[in-house]
Amino acid sequence: MSHHLYLLSPSDTPLYSLTHYSSKPAQTTTTSPLASNLPSWSTSAFAGTLTALSGATSATQAHHVQGGTVRIGGGQDRHVIQMIANASLDVVEEVVRKDNMMYLKSVDKFNEWTVSAFVTPGNMKFVLLHEARNDDGIKSFFHEVWELYVKTMLNPFHTAHTPIRSPVFDARVRASAKKYL
Amino acid sequence: MASTSKQYKAIGEDIWKGRTEKINAELFALTYGALVVQLIQDYEDYAEVNKQLEKMGYNIGTRLIEDFLARSAIGRCSDFKEVGEVVAKVGFKSFLNITPTVMHAGPLPSESTRSSTPTPSANAVGSSFTLTLDENPLAEFVELPEEALEGGLWFSNVLCGVLRGALEMVQMQVQASFIADVLRGDETTEIRVTLLKYLEEEVPVGDD
Repeated sequence: MSHHLYLLSPSDTPLYSLTHYSSKPAQTTTTSPLASNLPSWSTSAFAGTLTALSGATSATQAHHVQGGTVRIGGGQDRHVIQMIANASLDVVEEVVRKDNMMYLKSVDKFNEWTVSAFVTPGNMKFVLLHEARNDDGIKSFFHEVWELYVKTMLNPFHTAHTPIRSPVFDARVRASAKKYL
Repeated sequence: MASTSKQYKAIGEDIWKGRTEKINAELFALTYGALVVQLIQDYEDYAEVNKQLEKMGYNIGTRLIEDFLARSAIGRCSDFKEVGEVVAKVGFKSFLNITPTVMHAGPLPSESTRSSTPTPSANAVGSSFTLTLDENPLAEFVELPEEALEGGLWFSNVLCGVLRGALEMVQMQVQASFIADVLRGDETTEIRVTLLKYLEEEVPVGDD
C-alpha cells in the first residue's frame, strides 16, 4: 500500500514530493477497471490510455481490453499519480473557499485513489494520495509535516516557496510517514 | 576573594533572573540568522564573513563588559583559569542563559623558549580554556547549505568577537576561535580562548 505526498506552494509549485510504501496491511479494495466499462467498439488507442489509467493500481491485475493490447497493471504510473494530484487541486480550492478548516479530509476520489488535502494558514497545500481510509493517521501525519515545514521555514538559509532539499527534513518526513501511515 | 564554582553559578542565575527586559528567543535567532545570510550575500566569501562577524562581536564585547561588570560586581580574577570560570558560569549565563562547560589547559610547551620554568602557572601566556556549548540560541533552526559547509563558515563567530572585545577591555589580549560546531556536523560546539598577553594600561588605539 503506498502513499504519495506533495507539498505545493501558494502558486501551486511543487516544493517537495514523497512516496511512502506502508507496511500496514492493505484493506481489500474493489477495483473496477475502467476498461471493462468500455463498449466493444472502442478503439485501441483510447483503450490504451485507459489501460494506463487503470494501471495506477497497486494490485497486480491483468486487463483484457477488446481490440487492445493485454497489459498487466502492476505498479504505479508516475505521471498518472501526478495528474491525479493536479486534478484534485481545483476541488481543494473549492472546498477551501467554503470551509475554513485546515484539514480537508478526502476531497477527491479516482479509481481506488483517495486524495486528502491539508491547507496551512500560509496557503501551502499538502496533498496526499492514498488508497485506504486512515483519517486519524493522516490528520496526525499532516500536522507533523506542518510542524516540520514550519521549522524548515525558520531556517535563515531557506528561501520561501523554493523546493525543499534539506536531507534532515526528508528524513523526518519519512519517519513521520512510517509512524502514521 | 575566590568564589567557588557554585557561587559563580548562583551569581549568573541571579543576574539572568534580575533582567527585566528579555527578548523572544525565536526573534533573536531569526534576527541573527537574517544578519548572517545578508553578510553572505554581500561579501560572497565565507572567510570574509567570519572576519566580519568577529569584528561585529568585538564591538559588542567592548561595550558589553561594562554592563557585565556593573551587574555582577565581580572583582579582578586571580588567574586565567578563573577568567574561564567567570566567563562560562556568569557571563554566558547572564546574557544567553546557557552555561557552557569549561576545560582548562596550561600553556603548550614552545620549542623556542626552553627556559627552566618549573610548573607553568595558570597565569602564563599561552594558557587557554575551551568552552563547550551544548545549546546555542543563535543557531536554532539553522541548517547550513553545502556551500557554507565547504566555505568554512562559523555561523556563531560573533561570540568569539564578543569574548575578544570584552577581555581586551579588562587588559587581556586573547584569541578566541571555534574549533568545532554541530552545524558543521561535528559532535560538539567548542570555542577555544587562548591568552596572548596581558596589556599594560595605555592610550586606547584606533579612535584617532
